[in-house]
Amino acid sequence: MSRRWLFLPGLVCAGLAFLAAADESEPNPVVVTNVAYEVPDVQLVRDDGKRVSLQREMNDGRAVVLNFIFTDCSSFCPLSSQTLGQFQHRLGADGRNVHLMSISIDPEQDTPARLREYARKFDAGPGWQHYTGTLAASRAAQRAFGAYRGDKMSHTPLTLMRAAGGKSWRRIDGFATPDELLVEYHQLLALQ
Amino acid sequence: MLVAPHTWAQEAHASAGEAIYRRGVLPSAEPLTGTRESDLRISGAAAACVNCHRRSGLGEIEGRISIPPISGPYLFHPRAKDRDDLDLPYVEAIRPDRDPYTDATLARAIRAGIGADGRPLSYLMPHYTLSDADMATLIGYLKGLTPAGVRGVGDSVLHFATIITPDADPVKRRGMLDVLQHFFADKDAFSRAESPRLRSSHRMMFKANRRWLLHVWELSGPPGTWVQQLREHLAREPVLAVISGLGGKTWAPVHEFCEAAAVPCLFPNVDLPVVAEQDFYSLYFSKGVLLEAELIASRLTEDAGAAAPGRVVQVFRPDDIGLPAAQAVRAALSGGTVRVVQRPLGAGAAAEALAKVLKDVGPQDALVLWLRPADLAGLARIPVRASGVFVSSLMGGMSNAPLPAPWRKVARLSYPFDLPDQRRIRMDYPLGWFRIRQIPVVDERVQADTYLACGLLAETLSHMADSFIPDYLVERLEGLLEHRILTAYYPRLALAPNQRFASKGGYIVHFADLAGGQLVADSDWIVP
Repeated sequence: MSRRWLFLPGLVCAGLAFLAAADESEPNPVVVTNVAYEVPDVQLVRDDGKRVSLQREMNDGRAVVLNFIFTDCSSFCPLSSQTLGQFQHRLGADGRNVHLMSISIDPEQDTPARLREYARKFDAGPGWQHYTGTLAASRAAQRAFGAYRGDKMSHTPLTLMRAAGGKSWRRIDGFATPDELLVEYHQLLALQ
Repeated sequence: MLVAPHTWAQEAHASAGEAIYRRGVLPSAEPLTGTRESDLRISGAAAACVNCHRRSGLGEIEGRISIPPISGPYLFHPRAKDRDDLDLPYVEAIRPDRDPYTDATLARAIRAGIGADGRPLSYLMPHYTLSDADMATLIGYLKGLTPAGVRGVGDSVLHFATIITPDADPVKRRGMLDVLQHFFADKDAFSRAESPRLRSSHRMMFKANRRWLLHVWELSGPPGTWVQQLREHLAREPVLAVISGLGGKTWAPVHEFCEAAAVPCLFPNVDLPVVAEQDFYSLYFSKGVLLEAELIASRLTEDAGAAAPGRVVQVFRPDDIGLPAAQAVRAALSGGTVRVVQRPLGAGAAAEALAKVLKDVGPQDALVLWLRPADLAGLARIPVRASGVFVSSLMGGMSNAPLPAPWRKVARLSYPFDLPDQRRIRMDYPLGWFRIRQIPVVDERVQADTYLACGLLAETLSHMADSFIPDYLVERLEGLLEHRILTAYYPRLALAPNQRFASKGGYIVHFADLAGGQLVADSDWIVP
């Protein structure tokens, strides 16, 4: 399968277009950029039911790998989550240094119980947590990371990575494979 | 007029191809399996084609990802420069400019992800493992996915039905029918001219140039006879979809009928819907009294600790929708420390029956009243002794609930809507339309919901151009709903695959004062 992997260094941008997804001639473009996102001060509800601060969840000494899902997404969230699960698995012992976070973009439907059920489907290990909360909090988180598209059916595949204590996020638009995520992760670490 | 005769046999026998497509199960009963690049395996329900290509087989555009239609006509059409040159109903993800598949190249696409033009398909498309026999079964199913004729669709008319149960409230019935009849008349007024055969254009937002015709199906007799009545109605008057409608104590036979007959049932006015999120055809605004039950249980759980009641005493008529609501509260509170006591009202006058069940209620108790207005009025001479009183607004009449003053003072109503002040601007539009059309507002909520349902149907159809396919109607509605801003009584509406209830939260409110109907929320919007 042909895939174009495009890295754009030094570019600060939210929502970079990778238009070719709708064009069969380019089945899966993946575009990587570096962006210094501001993490907003929002309260979310974690899948264990606890109210948590997004900022604190992202700054506990671990690297962060973030994506946005909703449990009723039947098209590509399952692929994104399966990929994240495989990525976590292939990290092995290194996994304890990585906080995987999946934030729901359908928080009114996605209760902590539904998120736990969803996480189980993808063999989420400890260190991978799912989040919900109010609509306003979910939207604030989406907006902060250039992931907000107005409604959940307009969502796009996106993975974000940041080294522990880092300021710059690696933004990966498109469907990266678990191994590609590993490569990105190790490159990110190498830069620290 | 094209009328596809409805055969129950088609519904009753799920074909082997359908099992592969919808459930990811092979004829051998083994799960369907597939892989994507990098060896990510999927199997069973997660591997089913329906997840991306949808039940209609017409695909969709999600974000920037275009999932194409894969029913026969869309796979085997001759190459065309753009979609206007294709004589096929419009779907947003259509692929006009490629060579038609053959059975062989289609099998190659499904097994190896190679398109008709020899180039790779999207990364999202799995490579499936299928025997030749199973492949033939699946391809046979795909070929049959788009029906030759569509029920309820004529060259110049679209047929819809609304369903009314015999125990539906007569005032609500009048109000709803008033709205429906005026809405349909409006549609008719703008579609008088003979319209030429529709050609779709992806550059244009299409307004379906057909008249709308409303059939009112009034049911009679016991619920056990309704499915048969509905089958007969549908056979006599085939419709594209059921719009709005009005229920009383049960809607289950109607839901069951719509699911079995594959008829979209769009936002009926029912306070006790059927909760079956894996079903497809029935869409509801909310879970009604079941949502109220969750709101009340959620509040009782919050109160636990601070002002935990020793008992929760629930009062309801055993033959009304308060019973399942009370059961839902008990289920939600099970496992907690609060004891739940169910007190069905006996026969006879409300005042006496209520006095009897409330005799031993004291300050350690929280009361939950699942009562209609007539019963609430029966509280007149009964003192308030409970420490907390919850009242169902759906059953009790919302801000018009006829609670006697002492009860009104302490009552907290479950309220699965936006607050009146907050929805004022969104309500200007339907209320203005009611005034212009001289529709008496006899039940604002039911009439606003009915008008909203009609508007959603019209908006969705306008995006569908000439593809009047029932399954596709439901799928497009799911996708478009969240865009809608004028949502009347609801702050927001949203649906998704396997999500059948568009509004998921509410408030607990109390009366601002004894006189007027002004409501004050106890907290922010609650999503239980």
